[in-house]
Amino acid sequence: MVLTTLNETEGVIAELPFREFDSGMVLDILYIIVLAYVLVKVLSFAFRKIGDMAGSHRITATMLIPLLKIVIYASAIYFIIAAVLQPSLSQLVAFSGLFGAALGFGLKDIFADIIGGIVIAFERPYRIGDKISVLGTYGEVQDIGLRATRIVTPDDSLVSIPNYTIFKEATASGNAGKTEMMVVIDLFIDAESDAVAAMDILRDAAVTSKYVYISPGCPFTILLEDFPFYKRIRARAYVNDHRNEFEFHSEVTRRAWIALQREGIRPPRFPAHIPDMSRD
Amino acid sequence: MEDEASVPDEKEEFVLFEEEINRIQEAIDSVAKGEFSHIALVGEPFAGQHLIMGRIRDKNPDVASYIPFFNVIKGKEAITSTYGTKEIVLMDRCHFLALRKIGGFAMLDAFLDMISMSGKMFITTWNSFTWSYLRAVKGIDKFFPVVIEVPKLDSKTLMEAVLSHYEGDIKFIDDTEQPEEQPLVTTKSVPLNLPFGYRLNVPWPWVNLNRRPPEHHGETQSDIEKVVFDKITRIAKGNYGVGLRIWERSLDYPKIRLSKIPDTPCSLDLTINEAFLLYIVLSMESISFTDLAEIAGPEIDIEQTLYRLNSHGLVEQEKGYYRVNPETLNCVIAYLKRIRMVW
Repeated sequence: MVLTTLNETEGVIAELPFREFDSGMVLDILYIIVLAYVLVKVLSFAFRKIGDMAGSHRITATMLIPLLKIVIYASAIYFIIAAVLQPSLSQLVAFSGLFGAALGFGLKDIFADIIGGIVIAFERPYRIGDKISVLGTYGEVQDIGLRATRIVTPDDSLVSIPNYTIFKEATASGNAGKTEMMVVIDLFIDAESDAVAAMDILRDAAVTSKYVYISPGCPFTILLEDFPFYKRIRARAYVNDHRNEFEFHSEVTRRAWIALQREGIRPPRFPAHIPDMSRD
Repeated sequence: MEDEASVPDEKEEFVLFEEEINRIQEAIDSVAKGEFSHIALVGEPFAGQHLIMGRIRDKNPDVASYIPFFNVIKGKEAITSTYGTKEIVLMDRCHFLALRKIGGFAMLDAFLDMISMSGKMFITTWNSFTWSYLRAVKGIDKFFPVVIEVPKLDSKTLMEAVLSHYEGDIKFIDDTEQPEEQPLVTTKSVPLNLPFGYRLNVPWPWVNLNRRPPEHHGETQSDIEKVVFDKITRIAKGNYGVGLRIWERSLDYPKIRLSKIPDTPCSLDLTINEAFLLYIVLSMESISFTDLAEIAGPEIDIEQTLYRLNSHGLVEQEKGYYRVNPETLNCVIAYLKRIRMVW
């Protein structure tokens, strides 16, 4: 049975109208590859430029890049096949089946990544420019390629994560395609300190920051939580551009602590000795 | 530019903002019947809110106290002890009540407490950028049931307002060439980085979004007059003070040449500190160095930053007060909106 199938496959391949392999064909293939590569680079560059000019709509412009890549590379593959084989429709279908089987057996991981990339491009769980967290890696999406998504971490490392891995794991997007992003800023103060005054200071520090963005859809909140030996004051506010996330966090914290210390509000101190509750 | 509130030209004041003045006057007249609502008059810098306030002050000297602010308010007595016994209080430049810094809302809170408890009617003017900020942060619009925005002027109204300053005839001269129609799509050469350090200049299409239809100027004086004021209105984006400044700078009395009206492209790239200082100057309209330093805090080197803003032509100084250069106002607003420093 297996022998028969192999013989049939060989027959189909033998019937494929391969063109004579000459320098012209090689040049054609090279030309298609270079053209697709240059086209992807130019269009990606153009869309990023348009995004930069668009200000708050930056991510809307860049989200088209992965789709363009898929269309261009799929077209390039088709033209290369057409250049080598000049197949009829039925032969193309037969060849696609064989090609798919080969991929399924030999290159299934890469194929899964490419399918993952296509799903990500259409479903858009995140977009180029988003801040995402996946498998413990946090950073800005720099590129969504056919095989992998590249993320730049806060310490400027470029991390490549295979698309299939992202596709099957939970992914958190901090800004979901928007420029603004919520930032949570925690300050811990001594349990004896005036928490209400501290809340007022942190509120002022957040809303007067040069990085803050406030609107009906992007409100700010100040929360207090009591812990056994300290109090936590939490500010939840939106940064105007998620690229300023860490600057916003740092600026608010720095200014708030200067004001807190001026008001005599101190950071928590370790208790001299923790009472042993087990004796009670 | 002189203080808008003290512009003595009766004809100009009569023409400008008549609808807004009448609306405020009706509200003032209804105070006698025991009905009143606090009014906020909101406008961009130079838009004309102080001109309206000056007109209201002049029309109601017996019933209204006028309190203009010129500096940041630092003591509560400045807002509680000065308005006397009159039933209506006109407060000009209320954006000086709030500072964008930690603890900078104390005077505003005191002011809002006062207008909530007082039985008087408060008519206030605000810088529109400070107003937007305080609306988001403090919900200030809830205290002012009536909010009047200073309207943008169209070309015809700006022409009437500007020409009302002059007794004699102005000669309008079109010394520009009739422009050809700009193509919608052009090409630009863009460097492309290739592997192995190669670089390729790729022509790529550029859509000219700022393309304008050619202005056919016509022959008669009124045609050229219209073209001149269309151009000034477009550059000023309907802002009265900006339009007036462009006119004054372009006029070589009694002649004005179309080519002398500056139409410089807007292209800014500032650091975050420069942008923030520019925002403070914009939102305070006209601010002293001391007040600027107090708001900006120690982390911004004010002298150096002001020098750079000044050298870009964005900020100008007059009698110790800094303000946005009116000719670059719209460029500044567009830039600060793009980086989302103003909302």
